[in-house]
Amino acid sequence: MGPPPVSEWLVIVGAGVVTFLTRASFIVFADPKKFPHAFRAALAFVPAAVLAAIVLPGLAMPFGTLELSASNPRLLAGAVAFGVAVKVSNPLACIVAGMATLWALQALAG
Amino acid sequence: MAPVLVGTIPFGFVAGVAAVGAGMSPLQAIALSIFAFSGIAQLVVAQLVAAQSPALVTLAAALVVSLRFLMYSAALSPHLAHLPRRWRVPLAYLMTDQGFAMGVHHYGLPGDRSPRHYRFLGSGLTLYAAWQASVVAGALAGAQVPQSWSLDFVVTLSFLSILVPALKTRANLAAAVVAGAVAMVGAGLPYKLSLVVASIAGIGAGIFFEWGRRR
Repeated sequence: MGPPPVSEWLVIVGAGVVTFLTRASFIVFADPKKFPHAFRAALAFVPAAVLAAIVLPGLAMPFGTLELSASNPRLLAGAVAFGVAVKVSNPLACIVAGMATLWALQALAG
Repeated sequence: MAPVLVGTIPFGFVAGVAAVGAGMSPLQAIALSIFAFSGIAQLVVAQLVAAQSPALVTLAAALVVSLRFLMYSAALSPHLAHLPRRWRVPLAYLMTDQGFAMGVHHYGLPGDRSPRHYRFLGSGLTLYAAWQASVVAGALAGAQVPQSWSLDFVVTLSFLSILVPALKTRANLAAAVVAGAVAMVGAGLPYKLSLVVASIAGIGAGIFFEWGRRR
């Protein structure tokens, strides 16, 4: 049993509106120079904050509980991928290194 | 272009699988992808639909993960301001984390700026086509993908690869550390509220750090 389908379609279209309005905000509708400096200063921290709030739990608590130990392969794979991303500015290298490490650790663990 | 697509294709596949896994029909999964065209927004919506969350809560979470588009939009707007609206609307719709990174790179290059929006449109459309094709594949494959492949980890790694270049300054690093810590502490909160609280805490930490440094 899911929620009623009407609500699903509402969410689907609504998600389109939300993502488009944030993307179009300054490109289509407004001039960022007209906004107060404090607002633009806060905006500068949005990517680092939002992305870290997604990435860190993905590494340290992959299945909902905190696993800060060497037995968590995603934490180690993430550390390797982080190191690669710091050294090489190619996103492919980071993703490949992380997946390869995860698969290797999973194979070793059987 | 190719390095970016290697992350995009498995990520799109995961987003398609997740939407169908959340109880949406393949048609709905594909529609969500066409409307939102944002991997993390699609995944958050799928998770909240699976948890049978109210529509407003789901859209609020989609808004929070889309806030970074405000910053991208502000950063790109001076480069696109000379274009007519019929150019700016599609370019805005096609903007993604990867597209933003490529756009900033293109516009940072020296030389004549006039034809660059064609290039921006071209890379955006390429990414769009690859993304939608992989979402369709994921939506149709559904639950047939073995869990042991850990394909969902591609999502975390994709965002890690964008996060690292965003840590250029100490204030950004402070924002990331605080947001990451709060997200983990608050992981038990319902409706993915941890993402909202963590993002706000991280932004606050960045501002506070910057303010303390200037004094």
